[in-house]
Parts: sequence; C-alpha cells; structure tokens
Amino acid sequence: MRERVLIVDDHAGFRRLARRLVQAIGHEVVGEAGTGAEALSESRRLKPDLVLLDIQLPDLDGLAVAASLSSEPEPPDVVLVSSRDAADYGPRLQDCGALGFIAKADLSAESLGALLGA
Amino acid sequence: MNTLQRRVIQAGALAMIALACFSEVNFTILPGGGVGPELSPDWYAALVYIVPGSSFVLAGLIAWSLRPRNRVGLLMIGVGVGLLTGDALLKNRVGQVSPAAEVLLDFVSPLWAVVLIHLLLAFPGGRLVSRLDRVVVRSFYAVVPLAALLAVIAGYPVLGKISQPVFDIEVPAAGSIYLACLVIGSALVIRRWFLGGHARRRSMSPVFWPMVPITVFFVLATAAVLRGSVTALATVFPLLLVALPVGCLIGLLRSGLDMSSVGDLVVKLSGGLAPEQLQPALAQALHDPSLEVAYWLPAQEWFADLEGRRIELPTADSEQAVSLLGDPASPVAALIYDSSLVDEGQLVDTAAAAVHLALQNARLQVQLRAQLEEVRQSRARLVEAADGERQRVERDLHDGAQQQLVTLLLSLQVTKAEAMRRSDFETATLIDANIASLREALGELRELARGIHPTILTQAGLVPAIRSLTERCPIPVDVTGELGDTRLAPPLETALYFVVSEAITNAVKYSKGRRMCISLGRRSGFAVVEVSDDGVGGADLSVGSGLRGLTDRVAAVGGRLIIKSDLTGGTTIHAEVPCG
Repeated sequence: MRERVLIVDDHAGFRRLARRLVQAIGHEVVGEAGTGAEALSESRRLKPDLVLLDIQLPDLDGLAVAASLSSEPEPPDVVLVSSRDAADYGPRLQDCGALGFIAKADLSAESLGALLGA
Repeated sequence: MNTLQRRVIQAGALAMIALACFSEVNFTILPGGGVGPELSPDWYAALVYIVPGSSFVLAGLIAWSLRPRNRVGLLMIGVGVGLLTGDALLKNRVGQVSPAAEVLLDFVSPLWAVVLIHLLLAFPGGRLVSRLDRVVVRSFYAVVPLAALLAVIAGYPVLGKISQPVFDIEVPAAGSIYLACLVIGSALVIRRWFLGGHARRRSMSPVFWPMVPITVFFVLATAAVLRGSVTALATVFPLLLVALPVGCLIGLLRSGLDMSSVGDLVVKLSGGLAPEQLQPALAQALHDPSLEVAYWLPAQEWFADLEGRRIELPTADSEQAVSLLGDPASPVAALIYDSSLVDEGQLVDTAAAAVHLALQNARLQVQLRAQLEEVRQSRARLVEAADGERQRVERDLHDGAQQQLVTLLLSLQVTKAEAMRRSDFETATLIDANIASLREALGELRELARGIHPTILTQAGLVPAIRSLTERCPIPVDVTGELGDTRLAPPLETALYFVVSEAITNAVKYSKGRRMCISLGRRSGFAVVEVSDDGVGGADLSVGSGLRGLTDRVAAVGGRLIIKSDLTGGTTIHAEVPCG
C-alpha cells in the first residue's frame, strides 16, 4: 500500500536524501518540515499516513512532537530517526507513542520498508 | 543627666507621693475633708488612688538607682507621677482652679497610660526596638492628649469629679482613651512576645504575665463602666496595676543575678572547652539559645560560623544585637544575640571577655575550615567545568563528524536503492561494502562520544544510564533498588555514573567475576550506589589513576567513595553523595 509520508528534519540535505529513499521504495512524500512547530502544523494540514521525525529539532524535542501527534484525533504513525542510538534515549522512546525508531546510520530502503510494511 | 538633675527628679517624685497622701487624707479619709459633707471616711478609696502610683514611683526610683542608664526606671517614675498627679490635682482642683487650668489638666492627665505602654514595650532594655513600636508610641504621645482635648471641647471631661470617688475610667472619655492605649499596647507586647526568642521571653516574663490578666480585667471593667453597670471591677483595677512595677523590678534584679552564670562559664573554660562547645556555653551563660558566634576571617573580610560558612551580621533595626570582640577594625569575633540583652551590656561584655582567648583559638580552626571549603568549592567548579567541556565535545562530535558520516551513509543507501531498482546488482554489492565500512566507523565514533559524555544521562537520567551500561556489559549484572522519582543534580548524576562505568570496566577487565550487582538507594539525605562483583578482588586505590580519579570526583560533590576488596574474593565499590 502506497503511504503518504511527511519528513521532518532540520537538515535540508537529510530531507532530500530521505525523500529519495522513501520514493525509491514506492511511497509518496507529501511534505517536509524543518522544525517541531512546522511538523505539527503540516501534519494537521496534510494529514499524512506516516511522519518520519528527527528527534533533535531546533525548537521542540522530537519526542515531545511525537507525543503531541499521537494525541491528535486521527494520529499519523510516527517513525523516529536520530543519529544517536535508541539506547541513548532510554525509556523515553517507549513512552512517546511512536511506532518505531531507526538510527540514521541504519536507515535504509530495507529498514524503512520493514517498518512501512513495504 | 547630672547628679543635681537626678536629685531634683527623685525629690519631685517623692514629693508627689506626699502630695497625693495629703490629698487623700484631706479629702477622702477625713470626714467632710473640705469638699462637702457627703463624703465619709474611705480608706479603701484612698489606697486605690495612692498605692498604684506610689508603687510605680518607688519601684522606679529603685530601678533607676540600680540601672541609671536604663530608661525603665524613669518610665516607671513617669507612670507613677502621672497617676498621682491626676489624683492629687483632681482632689485639690474642685472650685480652686481656673477653667483654662482645668482644660490643661484634662489635656495631660491621660498621658500616664501612654508612658505605661512605652514602659511595657521598652522593657527590659529601656529602648523601643522595633520600628512599629516606635511609630505607635510616638503616635500615642501625639494623639492621646489631642483626643483628650477634643473630648473636653466636645463636652466630655476627661478628669472625674470629686463626687465620683473611683478610678477615672468611670469617665467615658478617659475610659475610652485608656482602653485604646492598653488594648493596642498589649497587642504590641504580645506580638513582641511571640516574635521573640527564648531570651526575649525570659526577660519579658516578669512584665508580660502580669500584663495579660490586667488587660483582660481592664477591658471587662471598662466595658462594664462604659455601659454604666458594674463599678466594682473598676474599683479593683488600680490595685492590680501594682503587679507591673513589682514585675519590672524583679526583672531588673534577676538580670543582676545572671552574672553568676558567667562565673559558671569561667569554670567551664578552665576545664577546657572545644571550639564547638563555646557557642552553647555562651548561650547558656547569657540565657539566649539564639546566640551565635561569628568569627572574623581577615583574608576573606567576612564573618563565618564554625564550619567556615559566611554569616551576615544583623542590621541595626533587627531584633538581634551584635557585640564585636577585640579591635573593631579587625575583630576576633562577633556575638549575635537577642536585642533584649542589649541592656545587659556588662553581662555580655564579661562573658565575652571570659571566652576571648578561647574564641581566638577557635577562629584559627574556622579559618582553616573556610580555606578547606574554598578548596572544595574550587574543586567542584573544576569538575563541573570539565564535565561541561566533555558535554560540549560530545555535542560537537555528534553535530559535526557524525552528522556528515550519517548523511554520506544515507546518500550511499539511496544510490544502492536506485541501483537495485535498475537491477544493477554488481554496483549495489559494491555500495553495500562501503556502507558496512562506514557503519563500522560510525559505531566507533558513537562509542567514543558515549565515553566522553553519555547522552542518555542527560536525556533520561542516572538509572536508565546505568541500565544502558549493564545492557552492554559482557558479565550479567543485577540492578536492585531505586533512586526515587526526582532526579539528582547533574554533577551528582555524572559522578555516580562514572563510578558505575569505571567499576564495570574494571570488573570486566580484571576481576574474572561471573556476576555483578548494582544496588541503588537513598539513605539519610545521601544517594548511594554500590557496585559489587564476585571476582578475585585485590582492587587497590594506590594502583592506577582510575579509582583515585573517581574518589576525587565523588569528593568534589561532597560525597565519598569506599572500596572493599581483598584477595579472598570480590570487590565492592560504595559511593554516596549528599542529595538534600
């Protein structure tokens, strides 16, 4: 099933590469956001199926954005990404309501496809 | 005040008693004593007038001779003369003074009540300590005569007539004025009592305890009289006032007896007192548990307690007073005590002189402790700065090199995905090899960054950080206990984290143990972490810098590290840090 994806990261280079990776496995990128506040507003506007969300954002903590998105009436699935390990965040990762976590070093068509059910 | 002035006041006060006695004998006791045939001999009425005023005057004269510099004696004389003046002039004036003089008498006669409030608030030191007391007493001195004057102008005389041979609260205007004075004044005295410490209450008690029933009685009596009903209460009230001068005198005499407690202090000093025993001994000698000794530190140019912690001296309008010991420019110490002891200058000075030498010795100890405290704080700052720097380096690694490698890795992933889509499997395999190498480099970089500063410690706290360490440990580790819901301060978390990290590293490298245990807990204001293994033991602080560095790091945050390890087996590293 073709998923509609919103990519959130403050690095434009990462967003560009992530867009190509998502498209390479056959999904649609409906929008991009560079901050936590933009992520929240774009998610409400575009209503994506999935948000690929970086944890380290310039304004809000990605974990807080994920918690906020999961409390929306029709919440999108959230996949968190970070250049740090999952172990660096401890139990906070489990508590934020996200579908999963992929370290940026492990981000690939396979890992993303597995999470998106491709 | 010179001797002549003193003699004049003393003679005037005694003359006032004589005049009052004459007045009472002439007008109250002797039948028809010149005021009319309606009066019969009334010894009780005469005593009611003479006794309160005379007791204030006589007690005041004794107090003044005992403590010439203390205003308590003069204030007592003032109250007594005020009471007697109203009485004597009252008895003598009927039909004998001009209307103008009568108004003047009405104007000044209620002032004795204001002087009484002044006395109660100033006892035992003779001066008004708080700003509120000063404002209220000054206002009374201004307002009460004015109120009396207005009452007279409005047709309500303040002084009673001779046909009313009872205390003049039977006159509505006077009763109202006295009621206002006594109620407001008593409220201030009660406030002072409750705000004061043990020393103040002890010194106020001879006046405070008589004052409370007198106030209650006075309110009841005045209320009854103003309603025009019971007069017996008003008749008894003046005699109750006698308790106040007696109480004042007892209070002043008792403070003289306190000098014997300084003798006890000297005996204790001759037996040798440790520095930490000096303050309690002085507090006991001066009957002031709130007493503090502040030692002057010349190098720092501030006062400190025995532990070397800085102390600010109280300000001039505080409820506490200060005496400097030694040269005021560079004193040995300062005594901070309840301001009720200010009048006991001789007592304080004698006690201070007795402990002067002992305080000099104690100051050396305080100076040493203050220097040690400075060193401890300096070490804590150094460790904090180093931790801050480690955090910065970790962040730089993450935001710089790590980000670039991640972007490169992702770029290779995209290229590989596109090669796969084109069914170019040869290129995809080549890219895969590069991805694997790059991922390995990234892993090493992450481990390096984690060793510099663990992100999880900042993100999730000490317990998750310790659990993360145990998950990567090749030896099974049991974690027991908790550190509570509130997180420790960052320097404490960092210190304990590195203790656990180093202990695990050492156990893995050297202990040959098969199992480890980490126990966490909070006990008596300390966060405690204990790491133990079942290995060969033999850990030694003097070998290597790792454990020594940990000891210093824990000490820098005010904690301590204990290592139990012998060759019979097992090592336990116990770290505890104060957490409030």
